[in-house]
Amino acid sequence: MKTDSDISIRDKHLLVAVDHTDNSKRAVLYVADFLGGFPGFQVTLLSIVPEREDDFFDTQEDKVAWTREKTEEVRSLLENYRQILIQSGFPEDKVKIRSCVNEQKALSEAILQTQCGLSCCTVVVGRHHKSRSEEFLFGSTSSKIIHEATNCAVWVVE
Amino acid sequence: MVTGDDGYTEKELLRMIRQWVTRERVPKRVKIKDTSDFFRVDYDDVVVLGGIPYFVRNNEREGRFGIDDEQKFWVKRARQLLTGEVKILKWVFKERFQARIGNLVFECVRSPQKEARILELVRGRPEFMQGETVIDSAGNQLRILDYIRGKTLGQHTLEMGRDHEDFFFNFYPALLDEFIKIIEAIRFLHEHNEKHGDIRRDHIIKDMTTGRYRWIDFDFNYQHGESRFGYDLFGLGNVLLFITGRGDVTTYRLLQEAPEVLDRLTQDDVNIVFRNRVNNLRKVYPYVPEKLNRILMHFSLSAHLYYDETRELLEDLGEAREELDR
Repeated sequence: MKTDSDISIRDKHLLVAVDHTDNSKRAVLYVADFLGGFPGFQVTLLSIVPEREDDFFDTQEDKVAWTREKTEEVRSLLENYRQILIQSGFPEDKVKIRSCVNEQKALSEAILQTQCGLSCCTVVVGRHHKSRSEEFLFGSTSSKIIHEATNCAVWVVE
Repeated sequence: MVTGDDGYTEKELLRMIRQWVTRERVPKRVKIKDTSDFFRVDYDDVVVLGGIPYFVRNNEREGRFGIDDEQKFWVKRARQLLTGEVKILKWVFKERFQARIGNLVFECVRSPQKEARILELVRGRPEFMQGETVIDSAGNQLRILDYIRGKTLGQHTLEMGRDHEDFFFNFYPALLDEFIKIIEAIRFLHEHNEKHGDIRRDHIIKDMTTGRYRWIDFDFNYQHGESRFGYDLFGLGNVLLFITGRGDVTTYRLLQEAPEVLDRLTQDDVNIVFRNRVNNLRKVYPYVPEKLNRILMHFSLSAHLYYDETRELLEDLGEAREELDR
């Protein structure tokens, strides 16, 4: 007899990393369109509140308040995207959400650590259209993920 | 004898001042000023911080692009009256602003706590400005910084050699050695998860007393993205380009001085951010070795891979430096 955990093991597990941008929304819609309704897939939607150093705040209380506000925004965003996936045909129990506050890590590193921890076979991100100089000065999360990811596929959605 | 609230009489202060400045510079009267409003502290005033009197001289100036005009009213040069040492007194305050580079706008902060943190981290390291924080009578933080007597790296670079070729073969290798040492200092910051925040050639001063280059002004912080140190590395690239070219080699300058060289350049040869600066110096000065030029090209419009860490830049510079000796 097959158990739920046997089925879960067989599921292909995708990690969809999102933020508040339209590029992320496109990535979610792509996954919904591409895989919604097909059996054998589960999705974790991940959103990370980027690090903001103490220097940008007047007090620790300000930082805590800022982080709380951002975390709430992120939870609301994730819940919206979860509903999109469910409406596209993913079973409710196959769409999980996860959020965290990044501390002193690059976003790509935090995403890949989650991928590794959850044993996801695929990471999905939206591509932010940065100028060359912007990418040069501040880096690109999707490029970094492409270069650093091991043991998983990476989908960068245009 | 009447002693003021700050422990010094005017007579005592004038006696101390006479020890350290020439007679014509000694004021007739001297006032001890409260430091709560730095705009009210003027030339010839005395401020007492941590029980030590400082004789205030000029405001410091922003010395970029050779326009030594913009006075920094919150930064004053002063003479410590007990030892005669010249110090920089800096009234610290937090300031948020948007920085702009080309079309890019990003969030920055001038942060007293960052400067205090780094001063603590680099205490005793000769590659960095040294200083301490004191609290004045109004409870404000003030920084007392060592005054580094000397010229900036940019000024030194422009004074070396008769022309670029003379500079490059006779002065540049030693200059590059010194530059590598101060990049090592930035690596030290990065390894401790700190940014310099405002890497520019006029924030590197050659200390006349030690003969070593030293970093100054690290109170800026920028909101980083995926690459925490990308903006610092961009600054290092700019300085490297400047010292290698013995100044900025701009398309305008080439148009004036060597139009045939300008004709040979393509869009790929210019700086990724400042499109009027030429990064492909080998096309301008053919004796610039390939390895060194390749590093410069990592900061050009044709680059596909960028430096993420100072370690990578240092490794490449080490190899390029070896090639200069061959």
